[in-house]
Amino acid sequence: MTTVMETTGLQATGLVKHFGTTAALDGFDLSVAAGEIAGLIGHNGAGKTTFARVTAGLLSPDAGQVRVAGMDVAQSPARVRPLLGLAPQELALYPTATARENLYLFAGLYGLRRREARQRIGQVVDALVLGGVLGRRVRDLSGGQQRRLQAATAMLHRPRVLLLDEPTVGADPVTRDALLAAVRAVAAEGAAVVYTTHYLPELDTLNATLAVADHGRVVARGDRAALLATLPRGAAGDPPPTLDDLYRRLVSA
Amino acid sequence: MSRLPVVRLAAEVRHQTTLLARDPGPMIGYLVMGLLLITVTRPLYIALDRLGAAPAAAGTDQAAAGMAVMFSLFALKIGAAHLLNERTWHTWDRLRSSPASFGEILAGKSVPILIAVLGQQALLFGVSAAAFGLHPAAGWPALAACALAWSACVLLLGVGASTLARTPAQLSAAGDIFALLTTVLGGALVPVALLPGWLRAIAPASPGYWALAAYHGALTGSASQLGRPLAMLGVFALVGVGVAALIGAGQSGRLRPGARARAARGPA
Repeated sequence: MTTVMETTGLQATGLVKHFGTTAALDGFDLSVAAGEIAGLIGHNGAGKTTFARVTAGLLSPDAGQVRVAGMDVAQSPARVRPLLGLAPQELALYPTATARENLYLFAGLYGLRRREARQRIGQVVDALVLGGVLGRRVRDLSGGQQRRLQAATAMLHRPRVLLLDEPTVGADPVTRDALLAAVRAVAAEGAAVVYTTHYLPELDTLNATLAVADHGRVVARGDRAALLATLPRGAAGDPPPTLDDLYRRLVSA
Repeated sequence: MSRLPVVRLAAEVRHQTTLLARDPGPMIGYLVMGLLLITVTRPLYIALDRLGAAPAAAGTDQAAAGMAVMFSLFALKIGAAHLLNERTWHTWDRLRSSPASFGEILAGKSVPILIAVLGQQALLFGVSAAAFGLHPAAGWPALAACALAWSACVLLLGVGASTLARTPAQLSAAGDIFALLTTVLGGALVPVALLPGWLRAIAPASPGYWALAAYHGALTGSASQLGRPLAMLGVFALVGVGVAALIGAGQSGRLRPGARARAARGPA
């Protein structure tokens, strides 16, 4: 029987991806429901970015399957891609084009016609506080503005699954607040969000569930509070365990 | 029928046109250099014609056709550099993860570049007609057909080259060598009849040779002489497409049938 989550969110099962002799993904399982923000954390090289690239159809898995809204990414790429939004870890914008030109390109690539694109760009620009920079070339924007613009290009088409790979790297607090608020809004509209980060307090702000990746697989998954409850209690008067404590315990085990 | 491919293609064409327009210097440079060289080499080719040394390459016709071939090849580097930029800017992956197909992406990027190369050739031949009395014996439509075929060939070879190069420096060096080799072997600078025997023997391996043959046919012969050269340009264009499809699609790592089958089988 097919569950609601299997037809609306994201399900990755048994993903394996090798680069030479290195297993970037080694039985990676992750399910994210519609409307859920899953915080994906782990060491560099734990498989987070490879997972995002496989999910976006940029890499073929050696084994396993990713389903988006019930459709297999490998079998139905043309049907899945319109449902995905990807903001990769590295900046991927056209530096000689203006912010507006970048936004209109991605709006067009996702099939938004001119009027719809204008309306949607207005909404996303407001949400990410980019109104003052639309006419400036990307290379002249600050790092934080570029980060917000990149996220905006991934959110324009109201994706059903949004993959954000370390979107706040190098971002100032204002940029971070704007981004996190926009991510919450996207999830509230029903998108399944995979949010990769090394800044664990962001996951509290996002009220995200947690997925901890290590050596190419997810070693812990669930509600933050429930996972924190699995940690041993300190002596009376000690501060309660934090996500940092949980992370250190899981990935160093 | 869904209009979505049209919307995507229009967005990509508009964007690529913007990127080209942002940096017009190289294209203008190649145009000015072409016009200068037509002006200074024309007397040489007229003298050669009088000597009967290279009967197929007469005066203004040779100067204009030769420079059109040479500088469209240099302009090719501009197009290839734009494609390479997609990789260095990491935008190629964004395009690939979008709903646009490989063909749509390539078409969207290629159309503005094709128009730019065509415009360059139109100006070279137009100025030659206005200033030096160039007149295509087979008619302007025949000359336009040759320019279109050659521009498309050049563009598709550039697409192939951009998939082979890893860095802008590699592309620039390889592009210069390829452009010069193709130009020299094709007879764009020195008419093929005056090349050493061993170079004459391998000249048909150059797409420039067939471009010159097509242009000479349009300028001094009749439309019936264009069939073979245009067909050969089509063959070279297919080589460019083949390289792009094999290497470009392979590098892109897009989901391939073999990989799908492996994934469906599960871990070994």
